[in-house]
Amino acid sequence: MTLLIGALTLGIILALLALGVYISYRIFDIADITVDGSLTFGAAVASVLLVKHGINPLWATSAGFMAGAVAGTVSGILQTRFQINSLLAGILVMTALYSVNLHVMGRSNIPFLGAVTLSTYCEQAGGYLFSGSETNLWGWTVSSADLTMLLLIFSLGGVIAMALWAFLRTDIGTAMRASGDNPQMVKALGGNVENYRIFGLAVSNGLVGLAGALWAQYQNFADVQMGIGMVVWGLASVIIGEALTGATSVGIAIVGTIIGSILFRQLVAIALSFGLNPNDLKLITAVFVFAALILPKLLNKFTVRKYQRIV
Amino acid sequence: MSPNEVLMSVARPLVQLTNVFKTFQAGTVNEVSPMRGINIEIEEGAFVILLGGNGSGKSTLLNAIAGSFPIDEGRIELDGLDVTKWSEHRRASLIGRVFQNPFSGTAPTMSILDNFSLAAKRGKFRGLSWAHSRQLRDELRDRVRDLKMGLEDRVDSAIGSLSGGQRQALTLLMATWLKPRLLLLDEHTAALDPKSADQVIALTDEIIVRESLTTLMVTHSMQQAINLGDRIVMMHKGNVLHDFNATQKNRLRIDDLLIRFENVRRRELLDESASEFLRSRYV
Repeated sequence: MTLLIGALTLGIILALLALGVYISYRIFDIADITVDGSLTFGAAVASVLLVKHGINPLWATSAGFMAGAVAGTVSGILQTRFQINSLLAGILVMTALYSVNLHVMGRSNIPFLGAVTLSTYCEQAGGYLFSGSETNLWGWTVSSADLTMLLLIFSLGGVIAMALWAFLRTDIGTAMRASGDNPQMVKALGGNVENYRIFGLAVSNGLVGLAGALWAQYQNFADVQMGIGMVVWGLASVIIGEALTGATSVGIAIVGTIIGSILFRQLVAIALSFGLNPNDLKLITAVFVFAALILPKLLNKFTVRKYQRIV
Repeated sequence: MSPNEVLMSVARPLVQLTNVFKTFQAGTVNEVSPMRGINIEIEEGAFVILLGGNGSGKSTLLNAIAGSFPIDEGRIELDGLDVTKWSEHRRASLIGRVFQNPFSGTAPTMSILDNFSLAAKRGKFRGLSWAHSRQLRDELRDRVRDLKMGLEDRVDSAIGSLSGGQRQALTLLMATWLKPRLLLLDEHTAALDPKSADQVIALTDEIIVRESLTTLMVTHSMQQAINLGDRIVMMHKGNVLHDFNATQKNRLRIDDLLIRFENVRRRELLDESASEFLRSRYV
């Protein structure tokens, strides 16, 4: 049960990252590798504020969002104002962020020993909520701190998902979605496609930075390498979500992405507990995304052939 | 404002292009100059048909007015404003557009209602208010019912699932949802089958007449050129070759237009053979 709660919490934290990837990958149709850097950037900024400056965890977490948003803005400006290929712009920002992160952190790893973080809050709050450091959940004994953390992350994820859904249904959100779909049309209808992309990437990477800040607090350390390969993780979540829900509307796609992320994390947790070598994790994730990318095409070919045979 | 100024502001044409030049890929072997000092004026309420062969610069003229690219030289005025330096999206507040490709005018994965919610904000500030409203939905259903394409019950389905003719009709409706000062139609029926093309043309004429829109329409079809509009501008090699006003246009028949095209073609061939001859002799 502890394992399940842990995987669920991390799954929801990474769902924020997946929502960020959903924005860049599905709305703007680009694979934005900035994510690998901005996840660590968010974690780095939050960890330094927490450990070195003793800032309130809520502010530090928000700063993680802002840090990611700055990274996304830079990436967006490279893509629009300087007309750099989106993949290359992402690589540039990600690479630059590696040095930036080391500078911000001062070293490659910051443990949160004794610092007040959201985890500390959850321990205290859990003590009050469930009267004691352990509580009974459907017959299982679980740590009330873990359970409170899950509740906190769950409500945070819910609020953000709803805010994103609402935003994408406003005038500007609709124009943003259309600018990924058909930029020519949006321009003809008076939308500033470039600004939409910059703003969209800022929000996208902001969510990723937020996920980084939360993840660091959840695992009680920040590491300069924690972002490596995370964009592929996000893609996997988005793709699983689409496969499960069909993603016929924005709301369903958002819910699907969250479910995809949680499910993927659960699968990984199960595989690890059955003795999967953690070193193979990235390889398996990449192979999985590869398979998910080509399967629809293969299936399509197959169904088209079948259709032709009937005709 | 003195009476004289009032008179002048009334007399000023809605669209005025002064000595506009544009060269693409200058300095390379692919250099093309589709605009070579174009001067053209369009009066308020006019329905102008733009004719010309391939590469004559007619679509470029349309795109220059819409602001798809910056021009090299000259001046473009719209509705009394100098818009030469305006970006494409800024000019959209004055201009409604329909493209040749039915895929260009609509966002395929979004619903009809989504697309129209964008059109309802053409050239306006887009903020955080809901894109969909009951009012928009009702109005859209009414207007779409008038198209008689059976789309009124499908306003929530993705536009990408519709046929080219349906999409072009919807794009036309979107471009004119807010009354534009100028409507630009870029061969908007060229990619359609004849039946859909006729439907879209009928709708075009109906909307333009009802809303008395100032329109600039590019077409390849002589038939459309003869039947529609009240002025024909023929272009050739980046310049205006003929300009027929309403009276002249009424006397024109398809054959007259064809003869003029033939003349142009013959002159071109002559030019080419002459230059060929000279080159073989002297170069």
